[in-house]
Amino acid sequence: MEYRWKGNMGWHEAYLAQARSDWAVLKRLSGKVETCHTLHYLQMATEKLAKALLTSPCGADPAPPTHVIFVRMLQVLKARPEIRVRLGYGDAAQAFRKYIDSLLDYAGRIERLAPDQAGFDHPNPEYPWLDKPKRQVLAPCEYSFDQFYPRDKKTITKMAKIDMLVGELLKLSV
Amino acid sequence: MAVGQKNPEVERQAKYLAADNRQVEPDITKVYWFPDDNEVRLLEITEIVPLTSDGEVHPFYFRASPIDDLPLPTAVAMIRAEEFGKLKLPDQWGAWDDGIPLEG
Repeated sequence: MEYRWKGNMGWHEAYLAQARSDWAVLKRLSGKVETCHTLHYLQMATEKLAKALLTSPCGADPAPPTHVIFVRMLQVLKARPEIRVRLGYGDAAQAFRKYIDSLLDYAGRIERLAPDQAGFDHPNPEYPWLDKPKRQVLAPCEYSFDQFYPRDKKTITKMAKIDMLVGELLKLSV
Repeated sequence: MAVGQKNPEVERQAKYLAADNRQVEPDITKVYWFPDDNEVRLLEITEIVPLTSDGEVHPFYFRASPIDDLPLPTAVAMIRAEEFGKLKLPDQWGAWDDGIPLEG
């Protein structure tokens, strides 16, 4: 594949560009492939969005090599007045805080999808794992990931809110 | 103004953000400001974040947003109280003793 040089890009812009690209792939795949693939891109997009913010726009260093950063980013974001305004909450700081807090449990689930968090005995969207209670090795492509896409309204709503939040953050020039 | 600080706008924005953040998130128990002339650097103490895994403070960076009364870029990190003074600070932030506690 041809490498497309887009000019003098720093680490911050590069992480953000890749997060937006991961997000675009997620949107193209959604509903058309096994759930593991869309979750994989969701985990990658959120991690790279957080890493974009972990690198100074004028900094010379890449982000630290961690996958566990999405929740911490949201904890910091909820106290940012300009993000609050851009996302339509204006001066309603407590409402924005509650909105972010309500999503942290699912953000944590997304964060733990990274293979180094899941290990060999928890579901992750990339590699097979051992389901210890069932003594079965499972492949991500054959797993339903009900903890993210069940039929209950509460979970559907939270995942939709995370989808909307990440999409909006990626549009902002954060 | 902090000793050696030349740009009063940095201190104003630091105090504004510290007060705003503590109001939004009551679990932030203390805010320390590390003075710099070009960037607002805040370290917030809270139990809502997990312990840092690699022994370093990793701030999140935000661009200036003059329209939101934030004319300077900001770097803000959250750590647990027991990590204060023990983690490695970002380059250019100085020493732990340089942190000035800001009242909410």
